[in-house]
Amino acid sequence: MSIYAESPQERRRRSKDAKVIAPSRSPFDLGRRVRRLQRRAPMYALTGISGLSTRLRELTGREVIDMESVMAFVQFLYRQQQLAKRGADYSVDEFGFDAEWTESLLPLFEVLYRDYWRIETTGIENVPATGRGLLVANHAGVLPWDGTMIKTAVFVKHPQPRHVRALVASLFMGMPVLSWFLRRTGQTVGHPDDTRRLLERDQLVLVFPEGVRGTGKLYADRYRLRRFGRGGFVATAIRAGAPIIPISVVGSEEIYPMVGDLSPVAKAFGLPYFPVTPTWPWLGPLGMIPLPSKWRIQFHPAVHTDEYPREAADDQNLVMALSDRVRDTIQQGIYDNLKLRRGVFV
Amino acid sequence: MTPPERVLITGVSNPLGAEVARRLATSVPWLFGCDLNDPVAAIEDMDFVHADTRQSVIGKLVRQLKIDTVVHLAVMVDSPRGERATHETNVIGTMNLLTGCSGPSSSVRRLVVKSSQAVYGARPEYPSLLSEDAAGMSQGGSLVTRDLLELEQMTHDFALRNPACRVARLRLGYRVTRTTALGRYLSQPLIPCFLGYDPRLQLLHEDDAAEAVARAALGDQEGAFNVAGDGVVLLSQAMTIMGAQPLPVLLPASQWISRFAIRSSTGVNLPGHLLDLLLHGSVMDCSRLRAEFGWAPAHTSRGVMDAFARGHTEELVEAPSPPQEYELQVYLQRRRRGERYRTAQGALPSGR
Repeated sequence: MSIYAESPQERRRRSKDAKVIAPSRSPFDLGRRVRRLQRRAPMYALTGISGLSTRLRELTGREVIDMESVMAFVQFLYRQQQLAKRGADYSVDEFGFDAEWTESLLPLFEVLYRDYWRIETTGIENVPATGRGLLVANHAGVLPWDGTMIKTAVFVKHPQPRHVRALVASLFMGMPVLSWFLRRTGQTVGHPDDTRRLLERDQLVLVFPEGVRGTGKLYADRYRLRRFGRGGFVATAIRAGAPIIPISVVGSEEIYPMVGDLSPVAKAFGLPYFPVTPTWPWLGPLGMIPLPSKWRIQFHPAVHTDEYPREAADDQNLVMALSDRVRDTIQQGIYDNLKLRRGVFV
Repeated sequence: MTPPERVLITGVSNPLGAEVARRLATSVPWLFGCDLNDPVAAIEDMDFVHADTRQSVIGKLVRQLKIDTVVHLAVMVDSPRGERATHETNVIGTMNLLTGCSGPSSSVRRLVVKSSQAVYGARPEYPSLLSEDAAGMSQGGSLVTRDLLELEQMTHDFALRNPACRVARLRLGYRVTRTTALGRYLSQPLIPCFLGYDPRLQLLHEDDAAEAVARAALGDQEGAFNVAGDGVVLLSQAMTIMGAQPLPVLLPASQWISRFAIRSSTGVNLPGHLLDLLLHGSVMDCSRLRAEFGWAPAHTSRGVMDAFARGHTEELVEAPSPPQEYELQVYLQRRRRGERYRTAQGALPSGR
């Protein structure tokens, strides 16, 4: 069957002589063979690596090159390339969250989660599979890696993968690159309005009530919870009728053991603290590499707030009592998990 | 609530004013428009008066014409003449108009004031979605933001002092057209932007803006309303849609240098509030509009951007408007006015 409406003879008669216009050859044009080689280079490289992996396995008798992680890496690169081709054909929500892009980055964080910090997560079933929820966690480590790991845990380990929207201090929302990255991956400003709106849209919101007081504490003060603000997160949860899920994170304190705080330098840069660790700032950018401590994350059973009426949010006694209850749960969870951990790095 | 009978539109010569007048012309018996400049397009059912809101003549106009509905659109958000020039129009002009409308003997029952999303300003610590009560959260801000806040405050005070008059303030979202600074900024082939910032923009289509103002003029909703399209479009997306190349400018410790760099390199007069917008973005929560007007803008922010890009690639065709047509309109208007005067004398005092 022909795709043309007319006969081949007729078509030949009606068509005009095609004029072949060859593209001008640039002196750097290496020819068709080289271009083909360029195009196929990734395939050849993969075949080579897989051959090498087989040979090494035969020689040494164990897996030297893990082909699965190589393929995962190739897949990651391919996905990034595909995402770059989207152009403007994607949409972000009103908070600036790009779910597709965030999911494409998750393999990177999964490597940190699984292989670097070897995180053990318990009680993930306490996170609701549907509907709103306010996750409350302790905050530690100079940089907020604990937030990224909680986000990864809920997306990777939960039977119903969900994105967690963390609340960030407005200071970081004004910084270049950081503000762009944080918004793009679903974070928003730690403002009661934003928390309420996200909860009303049945999202999981992660809040660190300690804020920078938690991340900026010295190594000597590790695993001692700071003040939980004025309990604003409890009031917001009661107003939205959202369950509060306390989270204890163990291990984040050791990623950057902060031995000092150069507050004059911090003040000059407009930062809340300027950490001094055994490696930072002495080793320059190398000092920003977190230490591979052993982590444990525990999700505690939810504290239900829907039993209280909306007006209870204005009852400061109740709010502070609930806030203290959540804080005690987290502190107790930290002690439990510290006992369960054999050592800081194992 | 009685439907409006005698409507005055200030600032009728700007494109928005003309569009509002065109929409109101069919549903309002007596339509008056005033502005400093001649209208861009003549509207047959409207009487045009040369009047400056910055002078007290505007109050006389309102009283003499027995206006019952004032649509105040003579509010500039981005002006080619710079931020200082807008102060006179926005603050002094509105003050004059409000003075003209106030008092127990005033016939004004409805006042619609155009405000802008710029009234919020843009700051990193602001909530991601701004509700109506979030305006004036922090001191300072750009000149336009402060002027608009003052304007809204005056309007709010006016509403409290004159309970007989129902006042609505419409905070219109940013619009991208050939005449707005944001539109001209996005029309460049090479767009300087801040490195490491990708702000969320919320846009409003011209048609939706006019429709919102027209609906407000005919309705009786009170208070402030956010008016903008659904969803957001990122600045980087907007640039891709426009087919432009971004030129990231490094933001040094002192923001002023890079702001100056952007301002001078674009050749577009970007007022301070727009530079803040290009850093931190601004999105409004329009649920109050939807609830009380029962209407929402038809175009999403993304749709506005697409429409602007389409219009941008097309050749701009000047509307044929020979000088004779304007003369004709003026003649017709004079004739009509005379007729109305005669019929009014015959039919009064029952009204029309």
